[in-house]
Amino acid sequence: MELKGAQIVFYYGLAFFVLIMAVSLIRARSAVHAALYLMGALIGVAGLFVLLHAEFVAGAQILIYVGGVVVLFIFVIMLVNVREEITEATRLFTRQEAVAWALVGAMLIATIIALRREAHLLPPAHAPMEETPLALAEDTQRVGSALYTRAALPFEIASLLLLVAIVGSVILARTRRQEETFD
Amino acid sequence: MDLFWAVWNNPVVSEYILRRLPTIVIVLFVILTVAAYLVYAERKISAFIQARLGPMRVGPYGLLQPLADALKLISKEDIIPARAERSIFVIAPMISVVASLVVLAVIPFGPGRATITDINIGLLFILAVSSVGVLGIILGGWASNSKYPLLGALRSSAQMVSYEVAIALALVGPLMFAKTLSMVGVIEAQMTDRIWYIFYQPVAFLIFLVGGLAETNRAPFDLPEAESEIVAGYHTEYSGFRWALYFVAEYTNIVISAALAVTVFLGGWHFPGMTKLAEPGTWSYALLAVLVFAVKVFAIVYCFIWFRWTFPRYRYDQLMSLGWKWLIPAGLANILMTGAILVLAQHWGLVETVRTDTGERLVSVWPWGKLFLMAASLLIGIPIVWLVLAVINRRSTDFNLRVQRQIRLPERGEEEIFAEV
Repeated sequence: MELKGAQIVFYYGLAFFVLIMAVSLIRARSAVHAALYLMGALIGVAGLFVLLHAEFVAGAQILIYVGGVVVLFIFVIMLVNVREEITEATRLFTRQEAVAWALVGAMLIATIIALRREAHLLPPAHAPMEETPLALAEDTQRVGSALYTRAALPFEIASLLLLVAIVGSVILARTRRQEETFD
Repeated sequence: MDLFWAVWNNPVVSEYILRRLPTIVIVLFVILTVAAYLVYAERKISAFIQARLGPMRVGPYGLLQPLADALKLISKEDIIPARAERSIFVIAPMISVVASLVVLAVIPFGPGRATITDINIGLLFILAVSSVGVLGIILGGWASNSKYPLLGALRSSAQMVSYEVAIALALVGPLMFAKTLSMVGVIEAQMTDRIWYIFYQPVAFLIFLVGGLAETNRAPFDLPEAESEIVAGYHTEYSGFRWALYFVAEYTNIVISAALAVTVFLGGWHFPGMTKLAEPGTWSYALLAVLVFAVKVFAIVYCFIWFRWTFPRYRYDQLMSLGWKWLIPAGLANILMTGAILVLAQHWGLVETVRTDTGERLVSVWPWGKLFLMAASLLIGIPIVWLVLAVINRRSTDFNLRVQRQIRLPERGEEEIFAEV
């Protein structure tokens, strides 16, 4: 897919923004700072989705990940007091840096080899972006119809999984002792 | 200089930045002024409800009070508590205010240029961005490093996360008729169908109104800042300009909630017979439309202020059970009902799909289609939602699993027990 004009600016801007946020997220000493960087990275990824003309996914990304998941993270961080980490000057990284670098290098080489081998499977680099006249207006509709026709079974399985998780969390939270106190 | 003209003439820059700038500036100015005057309106209306006069000193009828308040807040000393988490303490009010001002970009204040922009995920965008606003409140409360703000922040985040679900579910009903998420599209759909969606979706409107009250932390859902319990909630430690930022965010959110209700349920800037007064596409028409929108928004905002002095504050468990056991099941039942009604209407040929230049629109056939949809939502929808809620909440106040597991009949007769009590 070929990028044009403002798309280039937005793509590289957002990509570097996401990378910087992700690195800061790992390096942050305070858990709350890390959660904030995570929020930045997720918003940047939502911007990338908009560039791909997947507006619905971008909106859902912010609604669920930033508005839901990060809020829950911060909730947990607030309840479990983790401020000690800032005052105690613990080492952020252990001495396994060499191992980490070796792993990253191996993954990079593997990616390059895979890309070279499977290059013929990828769409040509100069292929224009998919432009259909109603593509913009019907993005949500396309997601919806795909979800309820072709992806109906995975969708239902996912909802079942979530239901199991909800029931499990209620059982975990509602202990015998709690029931007795409310007798 | 060449670079400047190249950027200036760039179609992207001119389309998305330069042409929108005047509207953006006007909207920001008007909304910030409105937010300031909402404080005045709230004080005045509260005063009249309690048989007082309210602010009277600054200017005629106290009309310059917001200006005096703003001056006071800006010139106040900016205090950051010593043990506060400094950087987050500073960022938190900014997150709140940015999240509420960004939403203004897609609110349809009027036709054409009066709206800043129209995107195809308008409603989803509003829900998404306003859900980020919660972060500002939680972080502000946590960063203050003080117990009342932390309690307020915990309460408000739990409250906002739960009521967001109810609001989103309430919006699905009218969207089934509108067939689009774009805010302008929703208004156009109502214009094409010549009806306001409140007549098709009375249940959804009620859920949205209650959810909107809770989402903006207003009484009777003002637990996050309950004065009698936790001083001022999440902004207890804030002062001066940062406190003013929280206030701007709060009152902008009230306007946004009202604007959302007006757009989705009350036909937005459209009013019957408006085209007779002014020709569509002219300046006077746009001005009239903006005026109609403003009047509708203020009617709803007035109700918000009115409710504050009508209902006592909810207890925390009552708030949660209202959200999870009443509003969310009602929203789900409403979606199912609306789907069934629409399928039936299509089956009987009471609604038809019309292609306009902006997309497909659902139009009900006059008069039987409209009558059917209204009657179905009122006479069938409300009783069924009522039934669902009654079944779900039949024993919800028992709050005791053990008793429910081993229900034993009382050894003595019920009359005896009652006589004892």
